[in-house]
Amino acid sequence: MENNIILSVKDLEVKFKVRDRELTAIRNISMDFEEGKVVAIVGESGSGKSVFTKTFTGMLDINGRITNGEIYFENEDISKIVKDSEWERIRGKKIATIFQDPMTSLNPVRTIGYQISEVIIKHQGKSKEDAKQLAIELMQKVGIKDAESRYDEYPFQYSGGMRQRIVIAIALACKPKILICDEPTTALDVTIQAQIIQLIKDLAEEYKFTTIYITHDLGVVANVADIVAVMYAGQIVEYGLIEEVFYDPRHPYTWGLLSSLPQLGDKGDDLFAIKGTPPSLFQEIKGDGFAPRSEYSLKIDFEKEPPMFKVSDTHYAKTWLLDPRAPKVEKPKTIQNLHEKMLNLTSKGGVYSDRDK
Amino acid sequence: MKKYIWNRLLKSILSILIVVSIVVIMVYTLVPVSKIFENDPAHQKLKTNYKTVYVYGKLEELGYLDYYTIGEMCVAKKSEDINACTTSGSQENIKVLNEFEADGFTVEELTQYDELQGRSFAYRKYSVPELLWKFFSKLVVIDHPYKIQDPKNSDMNRGYSIESDYNNIPAVVCSGCNYKYQLYLDSSFPFIHSNILKFNFGISYPTNSGVATIDVIGNGQGSMKSFEQKFPTGEVSKSPILQHTCKYKYETDHLDQKRFTDNYANCTLQYDSPSMIKTSYIFGIASLILAYLIAVPFAISMARNKGKTIDKAGIALINILVAVPSLALIFFVKYIGFGFGLPDKFPQLGFTNIKSYILPVIILALLTMPSLMTWIRRYMVDQANADYVKFAKAKGLSKKEISQNHIFKNAIIPIVNGLPSSIILAISGAVITESVFSIPGMGKMLPDAIKASNNNMVITLTFIFTSLSILSVFLGDLLMTVVDPRISLNAKKGEKK
Repeated sequence: MENNIILSVKDLEVKFKVRDRELTAIRNISMDFEEGKVVAIVGESGSGKSVFTKTFTGMLDINGRITNGEIYFENEDISKIVKDSEWERIRGKKIATIFQDPMTSLNPVRTIGYQISEVIIKHQGKSKEDAKQLAIELMQKVGIKDAESRYDEYPFQYSGGMRQRIVIAIALACKPKILICDEPTTALDVTIQAQIIQLIKDLAEEYKFTTIYITHDLGVVANVADIVAVMYAGQIVEYGLIEEVFYDPRHPYTWGLLSSLPQLGDKGDDLFAIKGTPPSLFQEIKGDGFAPRSEYSLKIDFEKEPPMFKVSDTHYAKTWLLDPRAPKVEKPKTIQNLHEKMLNLTSKGGVYSDRDK
Repeated sequence: MKKYIWNRLLKSILSILIVVSIVVIMVYTLVPVSKIFENDPAHQKLKTNYKTVYVYGKLEELGYLDYYTIGEMCVAKKSEDINACTTSGSQENIKVLNEFEADGFTVEELTQYDELQGRSFAYRKYSVPELLWKFFSKLVVIDHPYKIQDPKNSDMNRGYSIESDYNNIPAVVCSGCNYKYQLYLDSSFPFIHSNILKFNFGISYPTNSGVATIDVIGNGQGSMKSFEQKFPTGEVSKSPILQHTCKYKYETDHLDQKRFTDNYANCTLQYDSPSMIKTSYIFGIASLILAYLIAVPFAISMARNKGKTIDKAGIALINILVAVPSLALIFFVKYIGFGFGLPDKFPQLGFTNIKSYILPVIILALLTMPSLMTWIRRYMVDQANADYVKFAKAKGLSKKEISQNHIFKNAIIPIVNGLPSSIILAISGAVITESVFSIPGMGKMLPDAIKASNNNMVITLTFIFTSLSILSVFLGDLLMTVVDPRISLNAKKGEKK
């Protein structure tokens, strides 16, 4: 089992200094990423999804730092790397990232070709001509027609979807071990979203890289992920295989997230929303961070932080509700028969019946 | 693309016409006529009717009005008996005067007691359209082989030919034109020169009276400088004559005949000091280069180390340079330089000594640097926060690579846009610095011309500065298309050429 763990995070804590105050963005996360799997990290804005993955490539903003914990990648604790020059052998080369907005991810005044071959020259030490050849192959691979003639074009001559394909091509230029997709489809329209997700899926199979999705689009998660990690206020509150988290969620926050899917709401009823706001990260969070917003909170939730309870070998959740002494609580009605509802929605005649095409 | 450039050129010319028209109208209708003569020594010396005659004569020369003496009136109306016509009170005289009055002229009589007393004269002020027409119709002078009509030399050959000039370099030579050399080559920028098209802005008055305004600012200054040269007759002598500038001379003297085989003997002379424009330009360009050489790398390293020592030092420098009044800065640097043995007045060592240039160039560079540094740093910092920089970092590029290959190329786009105007408008000179160092440049020309009511000079300078500003904005926009692929002169963006 231990062999195919590609990235292992232990007790990670990340703090930011904001106007002389310190906030804790990541609070003691431990998580293993299995090689070749697709992991989705979901959670609302500010839950620390992006910060968490940024620590894998040393991309934290200048005021942020890892205050505790280790990140093991290829038998090396990369959380200890400080210098940018040292990061260069991992960043882009072994762990690549694509960001959410393809419109602005590319330099507007450099040719597409330059921006792809630049990485190849840098990380693989190829000559300019070889790099161009490789870049054109990559462009074809991500589905750019007439790659050769479009090599010398500029980003503004590409559509949004095509730019995201180029961004993917750049990310894959050095055959990375891990690809972090930071909301890769948020800025794209629905039809292009599906194409891009499919593309990443296909390329993952071909290049055999591990994919980490950061998203708040549960539709994307359901579509691509093998494993889901739900983040709340800098912690992973539930973790498990996609089927387990979707059809047998255990954490009240996950319940809330799933209930807020607009597709699950009944026509005419108000859409469900999680009440309240996430806790301030400037203060120490006592007990369960989600307790003040939860309808199911127990007295202990406000006093003591819950441990990770094991639901199955692959499924964990961080809530006192799983303690044997806790009262039995039923998950909300909306998601009780989620499986059935999903089937209805995606089967022929359903609202999302063509989603997979 | 061609269409755009033509459009732009047309619009530019229109803008120039409008601006110059406004200035012409302002100058001719709003500046009080009495102000013009305040600085004219000839006017101060003249008395009684002679003063009146001088004033009207001058005003006609300056293009304010149409002025006729009684003699001219008689000739204009084709009077049969000129003698009777010029005698005031005679029938013929009254007839002519009445005719002129009917034509819209104001007829007046010289009243003061002297020998001109009793003579009539007529004048008519030009209307605004007439003023404009008179200015623009003679503005552009195009030379052609039928330009010279000399009754003494009526059978001269007319036409162009290619001859070698006094340096044995081929040149296009014209017989019958005003200028002998129409196209010629020499070693000064831009190497190929032409005399075909000239601007005529009228003469300078009352300062530099009688010299064409364009020559006041464009001709050399100082004392004449002779050099050994060969004349068309074969004579070799030391002379300051610049043969390429020779114009047709109606009355040649024996000296001219000794040197020239034809009538083209009215030449510009070479002086040891450059013209006002050139002087200002030398300082302008030198300081610009110095300012960019310091400001660009400085600003880049400031942006790259934002918030660190070098950035703070740079910001402190910018603040000091902006906060200290420029006059104080000029004197401050001047006295420091003086302590190092540099001249505090330009003419002390003159044009030939490099030491004369050091202080003014440093000062001008110091004055341009703060804004340049602020903007470059700002654009670099702006770009450094762009998403593509984040992605470039995620690609594994080093800070230096990102800065050089990505940020800089984006950050210079707005800088490049302003570059042509900095370069071209360097000729407008620097008022304070030039005054403090007594540099004979363009800086004080416009304020002086306005103060002295040198109308033609004001119009000339307006025309030159307006045209150059518009030209440099245009060039700036053209340059943008070179550095920014997103900007295209085609109507449809991103279309293939």
